[in-house]
Amino acid sequence: MMKKYGLTTIALCLVSLYLFPLYWMYVTALKSGTEIFANPPTFWPDNPQWMVGEVWTRLKMDVYLWNSLLIASGVTIIVAICGTGCAYVLARIRNRWMDVVLFIVLMMQVLPSSLMITPIFVAFNQVGLNEVPRTSVILAQAAKVLPLYIVLCRATFLQVPRELEEAALVDGNSRIGAFLSIIVPLARNGILVTSVLIFLQSFGEYVYSRSLITQRALQPATVGLQSFMGPNTSDWSGVMTYSAIYVTPVLIIFVLLQRQIVSGLTSGALK
Amino acid sequence: MLTFTKPFRDGAGFDTVLVTLALGYLVLFSGFPLVYNLVMSFQEVDLFSLASFDRPYVGLDNYTDVLSRPETWGIFLNTVKFVGISVAAQLSIGFALAMFFQQNFPGSTWLRGLFLAGWIMPALVVGAVWSWILAGDFGVLNHVLMSLGLTSERIFWLSDPNVSLYSVILANIWLGVPFNMILLSVGLAGIPEDIYEAAEMDGANAVQRFFTITLPMMRAQLGAVISLGVIFTLQQFDLFAALTQGGPSNASNVFQYWSWQLSFQYYEIGVGSVISVLMILFVILVAAVYVRSTRHEHIA
Repeated sequence: MMKKYGLTTIALCLVSLYLFPLYWMYVTALKSGTEIFANPPTFWPDNPQWMVGEVWTRLKMDVYLWNSLLIASGVTIIVAICGTGCAYVLARIRNRWMDVVLFIVLMMQVLPSSLMITPIFVAFNQVGLNEVPRTSVILAQAAKVLPLYIVLCRATFLQVPRELEEAALVDGNSRIGAFLSIIVPLARNGILVTSVLIFLQSFGEYVYSRSLITQRALQPATVGLQSFMGPNTSDWSGVMTYSAIYVTPVLIIFVLLQRQIVSGLTSGALK
Repeated sequence: MLTFTKPFRDGAGFDTVLVTLALGYLVLFSGFPLVYNLVMSFQEVDLFSLASFDRPYVGLDNYTDVLSRPETWGIFLNTVKFVGISVAAQLSIGFALAMFFQQNFPGSTWLRGLFLAGWIMPALVVGAVWSWILAGDFGVLNHVLMSLGLTSERIFWLSDPNVSLYSVILANIWLGVPFNMILLSVGLAGIPEDIYEAAEMDGANAVQRFFTITLPMMRAQLGAVISLGVIFTLQQFDLFAALTQGGPSNASNVFQYWSWQLSFQYYEIGVGSVISVLMILFVILVAAVYVRSTRHEHIA
C-alpha cells in the first residue's frame, strides 16, 4: 500500500513538472508590471493584481474572442453535417470502394495547413471569397478537420450494434428514419465529444486566419495575441493575462470531458 | 418524384449520398488546392498575376530557383533536425511516462489524462508561454539553470542563432509528449499480463522483459506513433510564429514555415508552391506507410 501511494506522489511530481508552463502563465498574469522583472523571479505573486478587466477592454478581447467563437462554431457545424453520415457508412460497409474512400480521407487528414494555405489563398482570391474572410477561414479549416472528425466518429459507429438498425428497418423505418432516430442517438456521446474536440481545435486555429483575414476587427484571438506580442514586447503580464483568459475556458471543458476525450482519441487514432 | 427520390432515402443510394457529401467537400477544398498547388509550382505567380487566370508557365524554373538558393540547404537540415530530435524525444519521454503510468496506483488514469492539457491548448498560446519562459533577461528557465549551476551566463534562447532552433524543438517536444504517451499506453495495456508473469518465473529481469516482451509486442504501435509524430511535427507552424519567426536570419527556419514566408511575406508564390508540393509529397508518403502498417495489424 505504501508503495502505491509512493507512486502516486511521483506521478503528482511528474504532472506538476510537466504543467509548470501553465502554472507560470497564471502566476505571471497575476503579477504586477514591475514584479515580473524581479530578479530572482518570484514563484508566487507578492502582490497579486487582477488585470482581467483592464486587459479585456484595452486589447478588445471581446472582438477577437467573438471571431474565434464564430469560426469554431461554423467549422463544427459544417463538419458535423458533412462528416457524420460518411463516418456511419464507412463503419457499416466494407468493400473495395469504401477502402478507397477511407484511404483518401486519411490522406487528407495529414495535409499541413501552412502548406495548403498558398493554393487556397490564391484560389479564394480568384473566386472572390476574400470579400468574406471569416467564411473563407471556416471553409478551409472545415476541410482540414473533417477527416479527423470522420475517423473518430467512425470508431463510435463501429460500436453501435448492427442488429438494432436491422430491427428498425424490419419495423418499417426508411434508411433515413433508422439513421436519424436509431443510430445517431445511440452514437450521440461519441459524436458530441468529437464535435467538442473539433470545436476546440478550430478555436485555436492560426495559419488560415493569419493568412486570409487582414482586417483587425475580423481576426480571431490567436492572431490578436500574435500581433500584441510583437517582436520586442515587454508587457509579459499583459500577454499572459490575455493567454489565461483565452485558454481557461478551453481547459475547463477539457477537465470536464477528460475521460471521454482521451478514450475517443485513442479509439480513433490507431484503428 | 417519389419514385425518383426513393433509392436515396431507402436503398444503397442513401450510402452514396452520405459519402459523396463528405468526399465532395474534401475534393473541393483539399483535393482541388492540391492540384492547383502543383500547377502554380510551374507558373510565375506574384502579387500582380495573383488574380489572373492566365499566368505564364515557366517550366521547372521555380524548382531550380529553390534548389539554387543559398539558404535552402540550411533550412533543409533544420527541418531534418526539427523532425528527428522532436520525434525521438517525444517518443522516448512518452514511452517512459506510459510505462510509469501503466503501473496500477491510485489516480493513475486521471493523472495521466492531465498531460493532455498541454496538447489541447492552442499551439500559439503554448508558443507565447514558452517565449516568456525562454526570455533571455527575465526568463525563468535561465534563472533555474543558473541557480542549479548548469550555466554561468544567460542563454539567449530565441535570439542566439546557435540555440534558437533547439528552443522551438523544446517547446514542440512539450507539446507532443502527451499524445505519444496516450497512444503508447493503449498498446501497453494490450499486452497480456501473464506473458510477463511467465517470463518472471523463468528468471528474466526487468531489462530483459522490456527488450524481449515489451518492445517486440509494441512494434506496430511504435511504427504508428512514429509516423504520426513525423506528420504532426511537419504540421507545426504556430510555435515558429510565436517563438522565432524562423530567425535570426533563418537559423531556426524549417520548410513548412519558409514556404509560408515566401508566399505571404515575399509574395514569391510560385516558389512557395514548389516547397509546398515537395513537402506534401513527403507527408503523404509517410502517411501511406502509416496507413499500410495499421492495416496489416488489423488482418493479423
